Amino acid sequence: MKMRNITIVVLTAAISLSLPFLSAGPGMSYLGGVAYAQGDWKTEFEAVCARTQEAGEMTADELKKIIDRCDRLMPRIEKLDETQKKVYRRRLQMCRELYAFMLESKETK
Amino acid sequence: MRRLKALCLALAILVAADMAHAWDRRKPSNYGSVTIRNFSSRAGLAPVRFDHWLHRSFYTCRLCHVDIGFAMEANATGITADTNMKGFYCGSCHDGKRLRDGKKIFASCASNPAPGESARCDRCHSVGKNVKKEYDYVSFTEKLPKNSLGNLVEWEEAESRGLIHPIDHLPGVSMKRQPLDPQKDFAITSRSSWMPDIIFSHKKHVLWNGCEVCHPDIFPSVKKGTVKYSMLEISGGQYCGLCHDRVAFPLNNCEKCHAKPIQ
Repeated sequence: MKMRNITIVVLTAAISLSLPFLSAGPGMSYLGGVAYAQGDWKTEFEAVCARTQEAGEMTADELKKIIDRCDRLMPRIEKLDETQKKVYRRRLQMCRELYAFMLESKETK
Repeated sequence: MRRLKALCLALAILVAADMAHAWDRRKPSNYGSVTIRNFSSRAGLAPVRFDHWLHRSFYTCRLCHVDIGFAMEANATGITADTNMKGFYCGSCHDGKRLRDGKKIFASCASNPAPGESARCDRCHSVGKNVKKEYDYVSFTEKLPKNSLGNLVEWEEAESRGLIHPIDHLPGVSMKRQPLDPQKDFAITSRSSWMPDIIFSHKKHVLWNGCEVCHPDIFPSVKKGTVKYSMLEISGGQYCGLCHDRVAFPLNNCEKCHAKPIQ
C-alpha cells in the first residue's frame, strides 16, 4: 500500500514537471495556463519581427508566410491593454509593411 | 499715411519675429530639438524639450523609431506619463533602473511626485524654463568632429572614430536580429544638369536606421526610378527631407549627397 502511494506521488510529480515541455502547437505551451498564454503573443511577435533585416534575402514564399503570421498575430495584439496595443500594433505594422514591401518589389521585378 | 506707417511697422515686426524664430530653430543646439506638448499643459507642466543631438549619440535612430516605436513626426506618438511609467516610449530607458555607462538613467514620470521631485520633472518638461541640464551642448560636442551646418557635428565621423557609441539593442525591448548585409552604393540621376548625381549609400543609412524606418513609409518603392522626387518635395519634408534638414545633416550641405564626380 505504502509502495503504491509512493508510486502515485512520484508519477504525479513527474507528469507535473514534464507538462511545461509538452507543446500544443507552435509557440503554445500545454501547461501555459494564464501566465504563459498572456506572454505567448510576445514570443510570436519577436519571432516574426526579428527577421526584418533578412527580408531582402527571403523568397516570395517565405515572405507570404511571414506576412500571414503577422496577420494572424494582429487580432491577439488588438486584445491587449490600450498601452501595449498602441505600442505593439505599430511595431507589428512596421514589420508587416516591410515584408509586404519586399514581396511587392520581388513580384514586380 | 499714418495707417500705412502702422501697417509697415506691423509687417516689419512680424517678419522680425519670424526671422528670430527661424534663427533660434537654426541654432546648433536647437537643431533637431523637438517640443512635445500633447498632454503637458493639462498636467500643469511645461512642454518637453527633446534633444536629438544628445539621444542620437547614445542610441541609433532605429532603436527609438522601430523598437521603442516613436513616430517620425513630432507629437504623433501621443506619449503620456502613464505609458512612460509602464516602461514604454521614454520609459523604455528612463525607468530609474536601466544603466548607461554604469549610471542609472533617471525615471521619466511619477504618478504622485514627491514635493522635492519637481527638479526631475523639469529635466524633460523644460520648455520656457531655465533648467540646468546634465548634458550641456557646448561641452558635450566640443570634442566631436565638426562641420559647418546643423548641429555642427560630423556624426558619422564621430562614430567611426569611436567618440560616440550609439547602441542598437535594448535588452527587454529589442529582439536579436541577423546583421544586415546592405546592397552596394548606387547613383541617382540629378534632375539638374548643373548638379552632380547623388551617390546613395545604403550601408551608411542602414547602420543607424535598419530597413523599417525608411521602407515603405518614406520610400514606398525599391525599384530604382519608380518614385520621382524633387528638391521641392524634399525641402517640404518628404522623402530624404523627413530626416535631412530636421535631424540629420541639412539640405544646404549639397555635396554630401550630390557626390558623384562629374565626368
